[in-house]
Amino acid sequence: MGPTVLIVDDALFMRMMIRDILTKDGFEIVGEAENGVEAVKKYAELNPDLVTMDIVMPEMDGIEAVRNIIKNDPGAKILMCSAMGQQPMVVEALEAGAKDFIIKPFQPAKVLEAVRKALRGEE
Amino acid sequence: MSEKKFDGVLSSVQIDALREVGNIGAGNAAIALSEMVEKRVELSVPKANLLPLAKVPALVGGPETPVAGVYLRVFGETRGSILLLLERDSAMSLADFMVNRKLGNFDDEKLRRSALKETGSIISGAYLCALSELTGLNFKQSVPAFAMDMAGAILDHVLVGHAECEDYVLVVETDFKVEGVRIQGHLILFPDLGTLSVILERLGVPIE
Repeated sequence: MGPTVLIVDDALFMRMMIRDILTKDGFEIVGEAENGVEAVKKYAELNPDLVTMDIVMPEMDGIEAVRNIIKNDPGAKILMCSAMGQQPMVVEALEAGAKDFIIKPFQPAKVLEAVRKALRGEE
Repeated sequence: MSEKKFDGVLSSVQIDALREVGNIGAGNAAIALSEMVEKRVELSVPKANLLPLAKVPALVGGPETPVAGVYLRVFGETRGSILLLLERDSAMSLADFMVNRKLGNFDDEKLRRSALKETGSIISGAYLCALSELTGLNFKQSVPAFAMDMAGAILDHVLVGHAECEDYVLVVETDFKVEGVRIQGHLILFPDLGTLSVILERLGVPIE
């Protein structure tokens, strides 16, 4: 079994895309969440090796979710997935403890590279 | 920063500045779109215009024209809303490109709607990025809303939630070609009251 991943994105389409890219490369998707509240809950439940985290989501945004997850598990490996116009928020997310970010839309090769880098613990 | 209400008359320099935002935004959007569909995207020269609100329905062929709309709020250093209106057929083709090619023959309406919603969000982000680079202002986007309806109904919905807006909107015609299929739409920026003067000032062409 490959590394376990929790996918967080409010868009069903994006979750499917990321799932598709990662499973083809041997990762195991252990869960999906569509907002920050669910993400925090599922992280605690599933304890995945890596989280892909959208930023703009209803209920609780991705930055707040990163803060909450890191508070409970400072070693959590979280990769932010943001759209082009959201750079100021990316900086906030990195400060909150995310390892890296990728810009939507995704090229599979870039996603895999960033995921592997985050798993190795490189910043 | 001055917050003058815009009176509807722009100089040619101001129009040029706004067009440039449209051009760079459209370039960003084309790159984003081509990555999403994994195809080459041809882009025609975008037309950016400032129009009175009342003229918006006519842009898409009248208030009863069926369209797909993605709507989101913009906040941060300035505020407003963005509405991406795609012709219904264009939206359908785009959803086909994204869903079928990417994820196998997935004929799931929910997934198609989600794909279009996400496209709207990413294209808006591409334009906001251009606006942010040219003005030095930071923006945040809200979660997008999606609707497939008549143009008039979608516009009414946007305006109801938007009491304090200018009487003028910035419209960028977006006209892409993906594998010979034309994707036509309009990106409409509804500035909140006072926003337009801030943007023009930051672009170096203030309202006198």
